[in-house]
Amino acid sequence: MTGGSSDSALKDPVEEYLDRLLVTLPGSPRQVRHTLAEVEAHLRDAVAEGIAAGLPEVEAEAAAVRRIGPVHEVTGRSAVFTRPTAALARRVVLTAALVGGIALVAVGISGLVAWLLVVVRGDQFLTAPWGPGAYTAADCARWMAGDPGHNCMAAMLNDHVGDVLLQRMAAGVLGVLALSGYAVLRRRWRDRATMTALPVGSAEALGAFLALLAALGTIAAAVDLEMTQRGAGAGQPFSLAAGALLATVFFAVRLRRVVTRPAG
Amino acid sequence: MNAERLKGHLDMLLLSVLAHGPGHGYEVISRLRESSEGAFELPEGTVYPALHRLDGAGLLASTWEVVNGRRRRVYRVTAAGQEALAQQAGQWRAFSGSISRVIGGATAGLPRGIQAWGLA
Repeated sequence: MTGGSSDSALKDPVEEYLDRLLVTLPGSPRQVRHTLAEVEAHLRDAVAEGIAAGLPEVEAEAAAVRRIGPVHEVTGRSAVFTRPTAALARRVVLTAALVGGIALVAVGISGLVAWLLVVVRGDQFLTAPWGPGAYTAADCARWMAGDPGHNCMAAMLNDHVGDVLLQRMAAGVLGVLALSGYAVLRRRWRDRATMTALPVGSAEALGAFLALLAALGTIAAAVDLEMTQRGAGAGQPFSLAAGALLATVFFAVRLRRVVTRPAG
Repeated sequence: MNAERLKGHLDMLLLSVLAHGPGHGYEVISRLRESSEGAFELPEGTVYPALHRLDGAGLLASTWEVVNGRRRRVYRVTAAGQEALAQQAGQWRAFSGSISRVIGGATAGLPRGIQAWGLA
């Protein structure tokens, strides 16, 4: 009665129970192996006891599985954690937190790049001035009140640059929070059901694809602004492209690592 | 006995069973069943998270040994586990003594058959 992939082994209640337990147990690979070995020894003892008491082998196996109770009794977790749909939902949440968190951090980093571009090439490189008629005298007064000593155009650009940098910084902070949430959930949801609900590296592949797409799109937009608007406002897509390229490299390196990591 | 009620006292019961000598999971359950004369029936798998928790807390120590041809994790009560057991057992005796005094008083005037039923 050793494990195997034959039809009889697949119908063995003990083997089926251990299969279910394997994909549900939380913890490190070592903890999973140890608990699995411990429970298998338990079930084999119970089967041997049943046979010794006169039960046929199949009935002894069924009785052993019945006595040990549902898988969630062994894992010590709520029964909801053993459902495949719940595992998939947890994996999707982890993927969204990782990809979204890195994306937001990349936007935050692009804020630093934008600030450097402003220092090197001036406010107009980051934000194009609004055309005549797009703003009112009241807008001018508000901008100049916040930036005394400058004319309306310079005050408007300063205000818009400040807005861009502030928004990107806020995105970066949100990204750090999302990644902290990811780290917490990742530690909590280490069961194999969650980890195997999506193919290995799927989050990294998705992140790399989206980041590369964003990098290409923003580079194209920046080049277009350089050519048609003499660079006015090109700093925004340029800085976003820098962040997106960094995110692409991050996900690509991580993808390579998780795909080439030995299983276990 | 109700399995949920039993789970609330599982740590103390496991420490108590293992205080009589080291044992693996299946042995622990067998001893628990025997010493309770079959009163403590709960899904056997329930003991593993509890054993692992006690192991992690340093109240039990475990080693892997080959017993009867099978590799098993054998648990022993540590010194900290002995202390925790003494403390929990003392609290339980005080609590159950108080409960018994209250129940005993409430059923004292009833016919003997009803008293026995109430205390069962």
